[in-house]
Amino acid sequence: MEHESPSGSGAEMTRRTFLTWVSGACAAAIGAVLSASGLAYFVSPAFRKDDEGWVDVGRLADLKAGAPLKLDYVERRKDAWATTEKRASVWLVKDGDKVTAFDPRCTHLGCPFRWDDAKKQFLCPCHAGVFAVDGKVVSGPPPRPLDRYSVKVEAGRLLVNSKPIRSEA
Amino acid sequence: MKPVLDWIFERTGIDRVWEALMERHIPEAEGSVSWLYTLGSAAMFVFTVQAVTGALLAMNYVPSPDHAYDSVKFIGDKVILGGFIRGLHHWGASFMVVIVVLHFMRTYFMGAYKYPREGTWMVGIALLGVVIGFGFTGYLLPWDQKAYWATMVGTNIAGQTPFVGPIISKILKGGVDMGAATLTRFYAIHVLILPAIIGILIGAHLFLVVWHGISEPPQRAKPSDGQEKP
Repeated sequence: MEHESPSGSGAEMTRRTFLTWVSGACAAAIGAVLSASGLAYFVSPAFRKDDEGWVDVGRLADLKAGAPLKLDYVERRKDAWATTEKRASVWLVKDGDKVTAFDPRCTHLGCPFRWDDAKKQFLCPCHAGVFAVDGKVVSGPPPRPLDRYSVKVEAGRLLVNSKPIRSEA
Repeated sequence: MKPVLDWIFERTGIDRVWEALMERHIPEAEGSVSWLYTLGSAAMFVFTVQAVTGALLAMNYVPSPDHAYDSVKFIGDKVILGGFIRGLHHWGASFMVVIVVLHFMRTYFMGAYKYPREGTWMVGIALLGVVIGFGFTGYLLPWDQKAYWATMVGTNIAGQTPFVGPIISKILKGGVDMGAATLTRFYAIHVLILPAIIGILIGAHLFLVVWHGISEPPQRAKPSDGQEKP
């Protein structure tokens, strides 16, 4: 089983050299497949799509224009194999077709504020911060308008992403 | 390249170690018999695969009853080629036992355990025990029904030992009942204690293999190498 060398230089390839090359190539192929798989496993966090964090908080129909609504919900966050549950809430304001979601914490020191239906304003009980229905500061110590959450409506349900979008002062 | 290699070789002697390991004389064996001599290397290869895939799996595994199953599921569902890597480790474990037992039988039936290789044989028997220990402890880690009940059976068998059974069972389980302490105990044994032991034993085994050389296939009416005591 003598083989011509592929270079065609006329040198005969011995059976031993041939088998060395074949077993070397097999070993290299096996090694390559195994290392490539291991590497893909190792770097997979770089390519994993994380849960975007949209939470269903309630029905759009319950939200009336001009009457901000505070909705409490349980946020289930997936942290790889662990799931953490957190009680959270959000203020929702409807204006025509547009729905706005406010972070329920005052931008001053994080106190939960409430809606005063008579004054049509958000009032913070801690240091008398007052916000308009669009989140702008009316009076008091808050340094910037209310922070917002992303919100979207799907099939009549309100979905909120509770990653606060910091408002500009 | 050559000056660099020479520099390294001169300071480490790696080239001579390599020569001793790879260019030593091995007995002539023909046909199917020669394949029997590959079993040790095959076990070494599977061991390497187990070590690498095991290290990767440990990156995403939690040895706790509330997360073990979910973390294993996460490896299969969310990690790129996670199922493949876990599959390699799973099947590698079975292959390891099969190959090691075949290697053991080859050594026994060829009489390769005889003088002067008794030390290699004894270390080999210890390695067999460690491999079975790996299999036993690793089997619990997925924390599914099969894992749980298989370990229940295993620890109960140990518990049947006369006099000391209940003590052994409690030590194995880390308590009276199987639970969180059993899982962490098996995990620690599987990924810390046994790898340390197997590393030392493999080192000793390979050293002895190189030191004594490989025994030749037995032949009728001819004493094997090393058997004619001077």
